[in-house]
Amino acid sequence: MRFFLPVFCLFLALFACQSETKKLPILGNKSAEIKIINGKEVVDSVYQTIPNFSFIDQDSVIINNDSLKNSIYIADFFFTSCPSICPIMSKHMLSIYEKYKGNQEVKFLSHSIDPNHDSIPVLKKYATKLGVSGNQWHFLWGNKDVVYQLAKEGYMSFAAQDSTVPGGITHSGYFLLIDKQRRIRGAYDGTDKTQVDQLTKDIEVLLAEYPQQK
Amino acid sequence: MRNLILSCFFFVLILSSMISGCGNDQSIKYQRYFADGSQLYKVHCESCHMNDGSGLAALIPPLSDSTFLIQNRKKLACFVVYGLNDSIQIKGKIYQNLMPAEKHLAPIDLAKVLTYITNSFGNQQGIYDVKEVERNLQHCN
Repeated sequence: MRFFLPVFCLFLALFACQSETKKLPILGNKSAEIKIINGKEVVDSVYQTIPNFSFIDQDSVIINNDSLKNSIYIADFFFTSCPSICPIMSKHMLSIYEKYKGNQEVKFLSHSIDPNHDSIPVLKKYATKLGVSGNQWHFLWGNKDVVYQLAKEGYMSFAAQDSTVPGGITHSGYFLLIDKQRRIRGAYDGTDKTQVDQLTKDIEVLLAEYPQQK
Repeated sequence: MRNLILSCFFFVLILSSMISGCGNDQSIKYQRYFADGSQLYKVHCESCHMNDGSGLAALIPPLSDSTFLIQNRKKLACFVVYGLNDSIQIKGKIYQNLMPAEKHLAPIDLAKVLTYITNSFGNQQGIYDVKEVERNLQHCN
């Protein structure tokens, strides 16, 4: 009987650990906002969200925030003639795409950062050759300045023209995981197999936040 | 008599070590080419052709088509230096994307990286010597 209490406490501690579900952090800048709820002042934290955008994909369909409101998505920046990090990124993205093919809750956005060369037909050809069809993975065409701005301010990534690198454009090779509230929940090096594996695990964790739609 | 047997024994020993030593010279050269080639591959080829030489879907061809590599052995150095913009057929599939030129590579580096490629991913062609590279580079068109 003397041991009952400590053993009971131990069990309690163990079960407490198990019931705790893992959640992904919310990345980006955070600000505090004072709201008035029921006549009381309440401090609420406001997270950074992806700004409004509207681009055209490889099937000439307009893709904006509304088209993605019921799905989480993974975004990256690339261009079809890129000789450096893009092929390995495409290969890794393709492996995730194959895993979630048919699951409309998971979408993929690849923003072209070379709109002069990557016209809609060029993007379509690239997608087809990669083996991508349907409406889950969008290869997006948009004004260069708008895309660069979105990369920097929305996705905390970067893309810039640089004549010293092969291909003429430098950019970060990150995959950004975005939730249904347009918040950044993860950033992964798209050229690194281990980080891409982590992303695949994190997609499951994020999907578990939206159980009612499963 | 004992001395004769002993000296014969040593003579054979020295002879055999000389013969195997000569053989090793080639294989040491091959191994050096292959090892250096694998490093050069990482820097110049891997981001497109991947670390296992598998390429990317229908966009970038794999490097595992031994028949193609044997038949086009003389053109391989030119492909790397000047890139490709014709369509090529690899393993029965047509590839049309541009392959970028790598004009800055020296013949010795080309020889090493080609030795690596033609002896990896299921290929087994032996050494691609620097002299062979220099000779083939004169016939690029």
